[in-house]
Amino acid sequence: MKKIELTREDILHLAKLSSLKLTDQEVEKYCNQLGETVEFVKNLKELKTDVVIPTSQITNLTDVFFTDGETNKRVLTKEKATENAKYKKEKYFVVKRIM
Amino acid sequence: MNKLTKFKPVIGLEIHVELKTKSKMFCQCEADYFGKEPNTNTCPVCLGLPGALPVPNRKAVERTILIGKALDCKINKISKFDRKHYFYPDLPKGYQISQYDEPIAVKGKLSIFNNQYSNQSQNSNSEFDKNFRITRVHLEEDTGKLLHVGSDTLVDFNRSGVPLVEIVTEPDFDNSDDVKVFLEELQTIIRYLGVSDADMEKGTMRIEPNVSLIKLNLLQLKNVKRVPGNPKGSVKLPKYKVEVKNINSFRFVKDAIDYELERQIALLEKGITPKQETRGYDPDKKITFGQRSKEEAHDYRYFPEPDIPPMTFSEKFIAEIKVPELPQERLDRYINKFGLREQDAFVITRSLQTTNYFETIITDKVVQEFKAKKKISNLEDHVAKIIINKKLSTDLQVRAFIKKTLEMLQPKETDEKLLNALIDRLIEASSKAVEDYKKGKENAIMYLVGQVMREMKGKADAKIIISKLKAQISNPQLKSKN
Amino acid sequence: MNLHGKSLLELRQLLTDKKISEKELNLYFLKRIKKYNPKLNAFITVLENNHSGIPYGAKDIFCTKGIRTTAAAKVLDNFIPPYESTVTRKLQEAGMAALGKTNMDAWAHGASTETSDYGVTKNPWDNGRYPGGSSGGSAAAISAYLVSAAIGTDTGGSIRHPSAWCGVIGLKPTYGRVSRYGVIAMGSSWDCPGPMTLTVEDNAYLLKQIAGQDKYDATSSGSAVPDYSNEIKKNKKFKIGIAESYFDGIDDQIKNQVYKAIKVLKKLGHSVKPIKLLPPKYSISVYTILQRAEVSSNLSRYDGVRYGNDRSFFGQEAKRRIMLGTYTLSYGYYDAYYKNAQKVRTIIIENFKSVFKDVDLIVGPNTPVTALKIGEFDKYPFYGELMDQLNEPASTAGIPDLSIPVGLDSHNLPIGFKIMGNYFDEANILNLAYQFEKETDFFGVIKKGIERYKD
Repeated sequence: MKKIELTREDILHLAKLSSLKLTDQEVEKYCNQLGETVEFVKNLKELKTDVVIPTSQITNLTDVFFTDGETNKRVLTKEKATENAKYKKEKYFVVKRIM
Repeated sequence: MNKLTKFKPVIGLEIHVELKTKSKMFCQCEADYFGKEPNTNTCPVCLGLPGALPVPNRKAVERTILIGKALDCKINKISKFDRKHYFYPDLPKGYQISQYDEPIAVKGKLSIFNNQYSNQSQNSNSEFDKNFRITRVHLEEDTGKLLHVGSDTLVDFNRSGVPLVEIVTEPDFDNSDDVKVFLEELQTIIRYLGVSDADMEKGTMRIEPNVSLIKLNLLQLKNVKRVPGNPKGSVKLPKYKVEVKNINSFRFVKDAIDYELERQIALLEKGITPKQETRGYDPDKKITFGQRSKEEAHDYRYFPEPDIPPMTFSEKFIAEIKVPELPQERLDRYINKFGLREQDAFVITRSLQTTNYFETIITDKVVQEFKAKKKISNLEDHVAKIIINKKLSTDLQVRAFIKKTLEMLQPKETDEKLLNALIDRLIEASSKAVEDYKKGKENAIMYLVGQVMREMKGKADAKIIISKLKAQISNPQLKSKN
Repeated sequence: MNLHGKSLLELRQLLTDKKISEKELNLYFLKRIKKYNPKLNAFITVLENNHSGIPYGAKDIFCTKGIRTTAAAKVLDNFIPPYESTVTRKLQEAGMAALGKTNMDAWAHGASTETSDYGVTKNPWDNGRYPGGSSGGSAAAISAYLVSAAIGTDTGGSIRHPSAWCGVIGLKPTYGRVSRYGVIAMGSSWDCPGPMTLTVEDNAYLLKQIAGQDKYDATSSGSAVPDYSNEIKKNKKFKIGIAESYFDGIDDQIKNQVYKAIKVLKKLGHSVKPIKLLPPKYSISVYTILQRAEVSSNLSRYDGVRYGNDRSFFGQEAKRRIMLGTYTLSYGYYDAYYKNAQKVRTIIIENFKSVFKDVDLIVGPNTPVTALKIGEFDKYPFYGELMDQLNEPASTAGIPDLSIPVGLDSHNLPIGFKIMGNYFDEANILNLAYQFEKETDFFGVIKKGIERYKD
């Protein structure tokens, strides 16, 4: 079986989608490692899946809802919401201007 | 040759409507975030804290089904939520819980009745009663809000997680007038359903038109038949599309589309295919402008939300969600049942507040009894005119409005003797008018009616006066007198 | 009073009988933690001023209100949750209190605790070896008796694997049996919080406390929670299945001990028959694809805006998983990877369902090898998946699976034995384990472990 190669560009694209900054070394490393993993999971092709329904929920539950207007016992009062933030101004979270 | 005959506009709409529920979409925080101090309407769920999980709000799901039904959609028996990934500071989880391949409602349509605006724009080829296809109606969560101050962007998550319904149309529009009328109709429907304020200024309704043009040669143009509900005809869709964001009025939607069409035609004529992009709109300059795109790749990596089991809707459940009378049906009823003129019915039915006020008045027990007793068959028309012509304000308390209306509609108690004498006297005194009338000048009689009305101080019915006048003028007794 | 080695329920009884106070109890374990934790590094955070409640160890993946919760990742180095996870809240309501937050692989990514940003935890049986993972801190803490019980989470083996390597009892319940609310998400359709203990009774007791439907977790099950403590004492005989495919490539010493344990089960009157299960390699692939995809999504929220540090603080393993998950979900690859893996997941579920028509429980080895030496992690490509190859099938199907010790190998390292059951059949799993415990006392493994760490 031919090994799947992920190119530098592939890795950089994925890094961008994932909002990760990678060093050149990391890019190199992930080219290999991702390729290896992709190669490994190819064994799934040995099973016939044409007519199989995909499982995204293993609970068999359906229709789980809450009732609109229920008492809110979890609201973060006062300054609780921003307590863990590194950068805040008054009651706002702050990031570097984006527009 | 008109530029548009060479290029055919292809316009589709994405409409977002914030639902007016009590709680947010996936937690119990209040959906009403207006006027609250920043970040005081949040909990672990809508703030995207580690470990927090979403549980969907049943009411929001029901209301989305209601919108779907009102737009003639098929309601999917099985529906689920999916995660849509992109990074932006107002999106706390790095993904938005939305719906991808199994939305709540699909394949609907909305007809518009575009005669109100058909003369306003020259390049409009509006027709009456056009169908526009609705691709899908799905449910998702709103993001937080950003505020740009100096070198900072401030983030407030009070709005994060408010239920948001997305309505997507097919690219069936070919002019901005239809878009505007469509949006007005949609807004009216949403308000009739009572599911949202659908207020463009407040941002509880948001429009993102996507605009492109397809080049047609003359031969193609002739062959393109406008199939109702499928204006694309046999034409392929363009290879690009430009989405315009951040528009906060219907007027601006129209202006933005018009600007975009012009901009794109200019490019196309130079042989340049416009760039696929998202553009902003500047209402002061009336132009659109390129925005740094949120996620250039637009690869949202959707996958089924593992935290929320799928939803199943039985026929019975769907049937129990009842669509109230919609503006178009109500308009038809006003015309057919109450004999309102179409324009009047249109004006009354546009605003939910007005039409509900009207309904309250005309169905009021006192008003109904009055109608029966006085045999005023067109009472509803009278009330409609009182409202339209602002003879009375709809700000009045219902009881006060009714009292005044009934006074105005009180049939005139006419002193028959006085009236007959007056008519005889007037006919004698106004021989010129009488002669004119006899010669066929129908209008001449209106002069006499006016005279009589003035003398009677309004205490006579115009119709009765006219018939009495006509009878008297053609009275042989009177003739012989002459 | 000599508290050393007492089970959670024994300690609870002493408190009820007022033979000791909560303060004495907490100070006792704090003293032990002070003595041994510097060597073992089982805890990331120790609550030294907490002197009330029955102490236990909570994996540092459970959000604890007002108590730093890191998931062993520098990204969350200073995160103080403003809310309590359902599991730790329920334990509070049962009179328990976390005495410390236990070490783990960062974000629960791994089977060694090597990936922890707070240093590797040492295996109490041999400090030069891994405790296994990701709940390695929890397993090491109870194995060395730094607490009498702990709570872990299991996504693809994270409770069972370290339980096997540290010689304790670890249960991965049915997916949905225990609420995930407040558990820092790894693989959302896999994550299962569960108890890790020194006795089967403690395990049954803790499961009863933490199980049940939670209105804040839409995937938690509403099925009734049995009184496991009573259930385990019922005299039951089971039809037990053994799958040959679970013995492929397993260390001989492990195989031998597992066969020895199976003989005990036969002697106890249970019937044993061969069954056919799909080779574990398919579960590994399904797990690798789906879990990485969920990881890439679940780690998206860490942008440093509302809490914690920004994304540059992610370690190698997290980055690698995010990248792979992003790849398999990205446009053009979704059907080939993600969707196909979901389909194979269906096949694996059906496989278990059909087997459970024939047998009540399935037993086998837990890990292919006993605890590896620290540093050997890099020698194995797919180290984690390889170590958890026998655990991932139960995770893929969402069925419950227990690890119990069944002896030591020639290096004096514990050997784990698994008991898998049908959905929501934890009672039968624990029942069989209890019978085994009564009969063998796990061949003395647990006691031996504790005795190495004197007061």
